[in-house]
Amino acid sequence: MNNIKKYNLSFTKTFGISEKKIIKLKYQDIKEWDSVGHMNLMSSLEKEFNIQMKIDDIIDFSSYKKGKQILKKYKVIIK
Amino acid sequence: MSKNKKKLDVIDILKSQQNKFPLMFIDKIISVIPGKELTAIKNFSYNEWFFPAHFEDEPNVPGFVQIECLAQAFILTFLTKKEYKNYKTNFYNITDAKFRRKIIPGDVLKINAKLKNFNRGIAQGYCEGFVGKDFACSGEFTVTVPLIFEKFIPKK
Repeated sequence: MNNIKKYNLSFTKTFGISEKKIIKLKYQDIKEWDSVGHMNLMSSLEKEFNIQMKIDDIIDFSSYKKGKQILKKYKVIIK
Repeated sequence: MSKNKKKLDVIDILKSQQNKFPLMFIDKIISVIPGKELTAIKNFSYNEWFFPAHFEDEPNVPGFVQIECLAQAFILTFLTKKEYKNYKTNFYNITDAKFRRKIIPGDVLKINAKLKNFNRGIAQGYCEGFVGKDFACSGEFTVTVPLIFEKFIPKK
């Protein structure tokens, strides 16, 4: 599975929503992406990409788009 | 007993978590592997504050008290770790709660609690309670530890 598929799957599995809805998604846009949903998403991404994210990056991860930029720091390129 | 397992009396429990009388529902822990699992005991005598009201002619432990017993056993799976001792916790989710046996004055509830996952201040796990060999109640719990958890929440 390529990185974009893994990335999208973390969102769709964690929040139980379709891929169509995730592209413009921001933190707290949907009830599923609340504070606990956020931690579950971070755990899912860490597992998918075998990384350990830093606190500042977890706090800055405020949208689907922003998340792609943050993952670059961990050498995870999502196109 | 395994050398990793410990026992805790009520004084140890009071030092490990913040529930106090009349809302402390664990009397002792007969074995615990901190960060993993424990077995706890709650004794119910007629002196419990809720029995005269629930119910006068048929005293039994209210469901919300049973849930609280399970939850208090659950949080002690991680509050018994040195680094989390005495932290406050909040409920986040309770799912699949089951109540299968009336618990009455004189009963002893034995609770097995398992911590499945603890990450960034979110604890997830399962508890089940027995009276003797009879299954009494169970539930899946997600609990947050605000002091840890809040450090990771995005600013909107």
